[in-house]
Amino acid sequence: MTQRLNLALALVLMVLLCSAARSQAPPDAPIPSARLEPITSALHAQRFDQAVQLAAEAVKDFPRDPYLWALRGVALASAGNFKDGLSSFQQALKISPNYIMALRGAAEIEFQVGGSGAASLLDRLLRLRPDDTVAHAMAGVLRYRQGDCRGAARHFEKSGAILDSQPAALHAFAICLTRLKQVDRAVEVFHRIVSANPENQQERRLLAAIQLIAHKPKEAVATLGPMIGDGVPNAETLELASSAFEESGDTPSAVSSLRKAILLDPTNVNLYLDFAHISYLHQSHQVGIDVVSEGIAQLPSSASLYLARGVLHVQLADYEKAEADFEKAHEVDPNQSLSVAAQGMAAVQANDLDRALETIQAKLASKPNDAYLLYLQADILSQRGAAPGTPEFQTAMRSARRAVALQPTLGEARGVLAKLALLSGQNQEAIEHCRKALEINPKDQTALYRLIQVLQKTGSKREIPNLLKRLASLREQAATEERDRSRYKLIEGDDSSAPAKP
Amino acid sequence: MRLTRRSFVSLSLGSLGLSATGRASRLLLPQGVATHAVNAQPKSAPSGRPFNAHFTDIAAAAGLTAPIIYGNPTNNDYIIEATGCGCAFFDYDNDGWMDIFVLSGTRLEGAPEGATNRLYKNNRDGTFADVTEKAGLHDVGWACGVCVGDYNNDGNEDLFITYYGQNKLYRNNGDGTFTNVTKEAGLLGDTTRWGAGCTFVDYNRDGHLDLFVSNYLQFDVKRVPKPGENVNCTWKGIPVECGPRGLPRGVHSLYRNNGNGTFTDVSVAAGIVSHRGSYGMTVVAADLDEDGWPDIYVACDSTPSLLFMNNHDGTFREEGVVRGVALSEDGQEQAGMGIGVGDYDLDGHIDLFKTHFAEDTNGLYHNDGKANFEDVTRIAKIGVETRFICWGAGIVDLDNDGHPDIFYVSGSVYPSLEKRLPQYPNKNPRTLFRNLGNGTFEELITEAGPAIAETHSSRGCAFGDFDNDGDLDILIVNLNEPPSLLRNDIKGTHHWLKLKLIGTKSNRSAIGARAVIHYGKKVQVQEVLSQSSYYSVNDSRLHFGLGPEKTADISIRWPSGLKEELKAVVADQLIVVKEASGIIPSQGFVEGVTQKRSIR
Repeated sequence: MTQRLNLALALVLMVLLCSAARSQAPPDAPIPSARLEPITSALHAQRFDQAVQLAAEAVKDFPRDPYLWALRGVALASAGNFKDGLSSFQQALKISPNYIMALRGAAEIEFQVGGSGAASLLDRLLRLRPDDTVAHAMAGVLRYRQGDCRGAARHFEKSGAILDSQPAALHAFAICLTRLKQVDRAVEVFHRIVSANPENQQERRLLAAIQLIAHKPKEAVATLGPMIGDGVPNAETLELASSAFEESGDTPSAVSSLRKAILLDPTNVNLYLDFAHISYLHQSHQVGIDVVSEGIAQLPSSASLYLARGVLHVQLADYEKAEADFEKAHEVDPNQSLSVAAQGMAAVQANDLDRALETIQAKLASKPNDAYLLYLQADILSQRGAAPGTPEFQTAMRSARRAVALQPTLGEARGVLAKLALLSGQNQEAIEHCRKALEINPKDQTALYRLIQVLQKTGSKREIPNLLKRLASLREQAATEERDRSRYKLIEGDDSSAPAKP
Repeated sequence: MRLTRRSFVSLSLGSLGLSATGRASRLLLPQGVATHAVNAQPKSAPSGRPFNAHFTDIAAAAGLTAPIIYGNPTNNDYIIEATGCGCAFFDYDNDGWMDIFVLSGTRLEGAPEGATNRLYKNNRDGTFADVTEKAGLHDVGWACGVCVGDYNNDGNEDLFITYYGQNKLYRNNGDGTFTNVTKEAGLLGDTTRWGAGCTFVDYNRDGHLDLFVSNYLQFDVKRVPKPGENVNCTWKGIPVECGPRGLPRGVHSLYRNNGNGTFTDVSVAAGIVSHRGSYGMTVVAADLDEDGWPDIYVACDSTPSLLFMNNHDGTFREEGVVRGVALSEDGQEQAGMGIGVGDYDLDGHIDLFKTHFAEDTNGLYHNDGKANFEDVTRIAKIGVETRFICWGAGIVDLDNDGHPDIFYVSGSVYPSLEKRLPQYPNKNPRTLFRNLGNGTFEELITEAGPAIAETHSSRGCAFGDFDNDGDLDILIVNLNEPPSLLRNDIKGTHHWLKLKLIGTKSNRSAIGARAVIHYGKKVQVQEVLSQSSYYSVNDSRLHFGLGPEKTADISIRWPSGLKEELKAVVADQLIVVKEASGIIPSQGFVEGVTQKRSIR
C-alpha cells in the first residue's frame, strides 16, 4: 500500500509540476511564483519537512487558496503525517469542493489508512475525472474488499496499465474475473501478473489453476513447466500439475506427479483423494483402494479417506467393505453427513431402495436441514415410483424444495425437483429448475433433456431446436471424454500404479 | 487457489448417487452398450387377484422340435452371434389358421445340419408340419427380422427377411410356395449390410405397401476387435464380444413401392438418410399422432431411438428426443431392442413399450394422442424388474379382462459370463406384467403357468391365436434350442373379440388400419402392424379382451381414410371386415351373430 500511495503522490507531484492543477483553483488572489516554487522544489527534492514548513507559512498568508492547502497536504502526507495531510486536503475541499488535486490526495490517504471516506471521495473524483486510472484502481480494490466483484471488475478494466505495477490490485482483478466466471479474461490478467513476476511460484500456481478452470490444461502444464522441470517442485505444485496432466490426457504424467507429491507430503489428505479420483475415472478401483489405504495408515482419523475408499469399494460391488468404511467415517467424524449419504447410496446401488430410504431418513431425523440428505430422500422416493398425489410424492416434493432452499447451488436437487414438478404438471416450476440446474452445470444433460420435454409439453417450442443441438453436442462431448478416459487403466506393478493402456 | 477436496468426495458420491438413482453413466458398466443403468424400484405387495391365463409350452408336442441355430451356444466372439432373430404368426395359405415362421442364424465356423429358416403349417389340431422345403423358404444365413405384408395386393401375405448380408423378399405365390423376388423387386443391395428390423408401411397412402428397413451396424469380422481388446469389448471387467459401441453405425432405408412389383430406394428423398446413423433394431409403423398418416418408430441400441413423423408429402422429420421416446427419462441413451405396441391405459391412444439391457428398466411410454410421450415406467410399476436383457415384447391382453398386459422375453448376450458371474445367467425366465386396471402393473411369475418361469435365451416373440380358441398364445425364439409355443388356456368367463381386416382401396393386408373399440365404459385402440416385438410379426387379427362385456362398438379407420362403424358386435367371435363392404364370412372361427354397421 505504501508503494501504491507513493505512486499516487508521485502522480500528484507531476500534476503539481504542471500548471493544470494550479489553474483549476480559483484563488481569491494570485499567489506569487516566488512563494510557490520553493515549496514545489522542496517536494521535488523530497525535502518534505522543508516543504511542510514553507507550505504552512504560505497558507497563513493565503488561507483561501486551495492549491496551497493541497500542497501542504502533499507535503504532510509525504512526511508521514497522514492525519494532518488529510486535514489539509479536506480544507482545500471546503474552499473548492471539486478540487481534483485535493480529492485525489484525500482519497489516497483515506485509502491508505482504510478510512471510511475513501469510497465517496473516489466517487466524486471519478465523476469529475471519469478516466482517472489511479482512482479506478483504488475504487476497484475497495469494491473487491467489499465483495462486489462486478463493481470492482468495472473499475479495474478502466485502470489500464497502472495495474501492472500493482500486483495486489491485479490479483484482486483476476480473482474477481474468476468469481464472475470470466475465466478467459482472468487467465489474461493472471498472465500479466506472472509476466511481471515470473519467479513468483504462487502466482504461477494461481494462473495454472485458472487455466484449468478455463479448461486449458495444456496451457496449465506449460505454466507449471518451469517449476517442475528445472526446480524442486513442492507437493502443491505437483498436485496441480497432476490435475493439468490428467485433463490434458496425459494420465501417466498425472499419476507420476501425484505419486511424487504423496512422497513429498505423505500426510496430505487431498493428495490421496486426488489419487482416488483418478483411479475412479480410469476404472482402476483396486489401485485407488490400495493407495487410499496407504493414506489411511498415515491419517487414521481422516473421515474423507474412509469415505473415498468406501466409494471405491462400491464400484467393485464390495458392499460390506464399503459399509465398514462408511461406518468408520461416521465414527471418526459424526458431524458430517456424507457417510450416511454414502451408506444410503450404496444401498441404492445394491438395489435396496427401502434400506436406502431408511438410512437417509434416520439421519434426517437428527439433521433435518442437511440439503444433500434431503435431496437424496427426494430422489429415492422418486425412484421408488411415487406417483403424483400420493403422500410419498408430496414428501419427495417437499424434500427437494427444502434442499434447494437450503443449498440453491445443489444442481442434483434442482434436477429432482424439476422431474417431480414435471410429473405433477407444474410445468413452470419444472422449467425454472431445469434452467437453474443448467446455470449450475451447463453440461447437465438430464436438465437439458427435461427442459426440452417440458417446453414441448407447454407448447413453447421456439427454443427447442437450439436445445436439441446443444443436447446432441453434449452427448458427443461426453462420449469423447469417456473414450479419452478409457485410454488408460492404472495397474500395480514394479512401477507402482503406473497407468497402462487397456 | 486450492480446489476443495470435498469436491471429489461429493463428486464421487454424486456419481455414485447419480448412478445409484438412475442417471448419468456408471463406470461399473464399461461395456459396449449404453452405460445407462438404474435400480429396480421395490415391488408392491401382490394384489392377490387371480390371473386367468395359463401358459404351457407345447412346442415339442406341436412338432416344433428343430433348434434355432444362432452362434456359439456357450461363448460368443462376435456380436453377430448374439443378437438373434424373430418369428412370425401369419396365415400363409389363407385357411384362417395361423402358421408359424421362425428365422434362424448360423455359426461362424459354418452352418450345422438343420440350420435354416422354417415355415410350419398349422395342422389345425394343435400340431404343425414343417413345410420349409416345399414352400421354397429354406435358407441359411444370419437372418434377423421378418415382416409380413401383401406388397403386391394379390391377397397372399408375402415375407421380407432381413439378414446380415442380403435381405430377401419372398413373394407368396398363393399355392403354398414362395419365390425369392429380391432382385426383380429392386431390393438387392450392392454391399453387405446388417439388416435388422423392418416394416411394410404405406407411408404415402397410395394403397401399396412400402418398406422401411433399419440397419444395425457395419460389421466385418476381419476388422472387428476381439473380446477384451478395448473398453467396448469388456463387461464388468470381463472380455466379451465387442459392440455395438465402437463399431460404425447403421443407416436406415425406405423403399417406395412402385405398384408394379418393384421398389425404389427413397431413403434420401424421404429424409431418412439425412439423420446420422444409429444402431437400429425393431421397427414399428403406426399413426402415433393420429393425423391419419403412419409414422415410423425404430428402437435403437445404445443410441437415441428414432421417431420419424410423417410429413404427408413423402418425407419424414425425426423427433424422437423432443417427443420423449428416444432416451431414458433422464436423457440417457439406452439399449433399445424390442417394441410392444398397445393401449395399456385404455384412453384410445397407442402407447409404446421398449425393451432394454440388464440393470436398466424397460420403458413404458404413454401417448397423449399427439405423439408426445411420457415415460411412465416407474409410475406404472414396471421398474421393479431390471435383471435381464430383454428382447421381444407385447402390450397384449393375455387374460381377456379388457386391460392389455405386458409380456416380454429375455436372454443374455454373453453366454459365457455365467461361469464367472453366476448372477448373470445365460437363460432367463419370461416376464409377465398383468395390468391392474389402474395404470399400474404387477409382475407374475408362477401365477400364469409353468411356461413363464422356464428359462431360455430368447429373442423374438410373436403373439397370436394359433388354436383359434379366442385367446392369445405366444411363440418364442430360443437361441440354439427349439422355439417355445406357449399355449394359453384361459379360465373364467371373460369375453373377447377378434378383428380381421382386409383392405381394398387400402393395402390388402390392411397394415395401418386402426380399430377403436368401445366395450362397456372402456375404449381401446389397436392398429394392424407389420412388425413389432423383437424383429417379429404378430397374428394380424386384432385381438381384444372385453372382460365382462358381451358386445362392443367398433370404429375402423382404413389407411385410405375411409371410416366404418360397427355397432353392438357380439363378443367371442372373429369378424372379418372388408374395406367398404362391412363384415364378410370368416374362416376358422364360428360365424358371429347379427351386428349392425354403418359406413361413413
